[in-house]
Amino acid sequence: MNITLFSFLIICFFFTIVIESVRRGILETRDSLIWIFVCVILGILSLSRKLLEIIADLLGIAYAPSLLFLFGLLSTIIMIFDLTRRISKLNRKVIHLTQEFALLKEQQQDNTSSENMIKREKKV
Amino acid sequence: MDIKSIPKTIIIVPAYNEEDSIATTLTSLMEIKNKTEKLEVCVVNDGSTDSTEEIIKEFDIVQLKLPQNLGIGGAVQTGYKYAYNHGYEIAIQFDADGQHNTKDLFELMEPIIEGEEDMVIGSRFLQKTEYKGSITRRIGIYYFYFVLKVLTKKNFTDPTSGYRAINRKVIALFAQNYPKDYPEPEVLMHLNRKKMRIKEVTANMHARQGGASSITPWKSIYYFGKVTLSILMQSIVKE
Repeated sequence: MNITLFSFLIICFFFTIVIESVRRGILETRDSLIWIFVCVILGILSLSRKLLEIIADLLGIAYAPSLLFLFGLLSTIIMIFDLTRRISKLNRKVIHLTQEFALLKEQQQDNTSSENMIKREKKV
Repeated sequence: MDIKSIPKTIIIVPAYNEEDSIATTLTSLMEIKNKTEKLEVCVVNDGSTDSTEEIIKEFDIVQLKLPQNLGIGGAVQTGYKYAYNHGYEIAIQFDADGQHNTKDLFELMEPIIEGEEDMVIGSRFLQKTEYKGSITRRIGIYYFYFVLKVLTKKNFTDPTSGYRAINRKVIALFAQNYPKDYPEPEVLMHLNRKKMRIKEVTANMHARQGGASSITPWKSIYYFGKVTLSILMQSIVKE
């Protein structure tokens, strides 16, 4: 089995995992878009040596397969950056929720203690 | 100044695992609270894992218990949100570790009550006080003094001091937006951009009574990088 077929099979396998994750609701459709996009591009590029060479020639890359690396690396960096941004956003949300939780809990305790006081006064 | 004539004031005490010192701090604050109904003490328990919670419960004060540790910025902001929701006119940040002195409390409040300032900071270095910090700490403080001086053209002799009083306008700002960790120097930059009036008054501080400083050697590298970056960011971000 040559490397072209081998990498194509791996990409197909990965593609199936992505689709299956979306179908089972593990991965959100929105998040799967970039993965599907990467899979399709890598799939096409790994199958067609000619296309790869044409694009490499356009970009002035001497060794065509290194275009695959470039593409892979770029998409990984973009994805990781996107993830970091999302973590920051989630972090803000968690802090906000934690604060609201503490404030509401205090309010609730305040309410129950004043209710108890009213009950006690009524008994007296 | 008559203590009974003060506006509705809240003292916010952020506490994370402060079982050694919180009782002393709260006892001294209770002395003032018992003199007037206008003053409330609010401890923000930042997810403490020791007996801090039980100790706080023995005092007749507000306890905001965070279900997990948020760090100083998130904890203090919870207090400011509480102050905002309950219509407090003045909020004072006060450390739980016994560094701050209640004697300086009214010095901090006075310019705000008079409507002269929006924020008043208790400074250890405005005049010579008894405070003796380690040399590294002093260098750190001087570094932030220098950075802020360059960027704001103003003197903040103690930019890391956590002893601060603010008025309603700033409470509203902080409830909206407050930096997450090591917030003190960053806040000065932020308020300066908003054209808020900031003043320092001399405050005597003790060395901490118990607990460990939140800043360890390794963290201090992160501390410097983070705070410098966020101060610089503050000077270029859009409103």
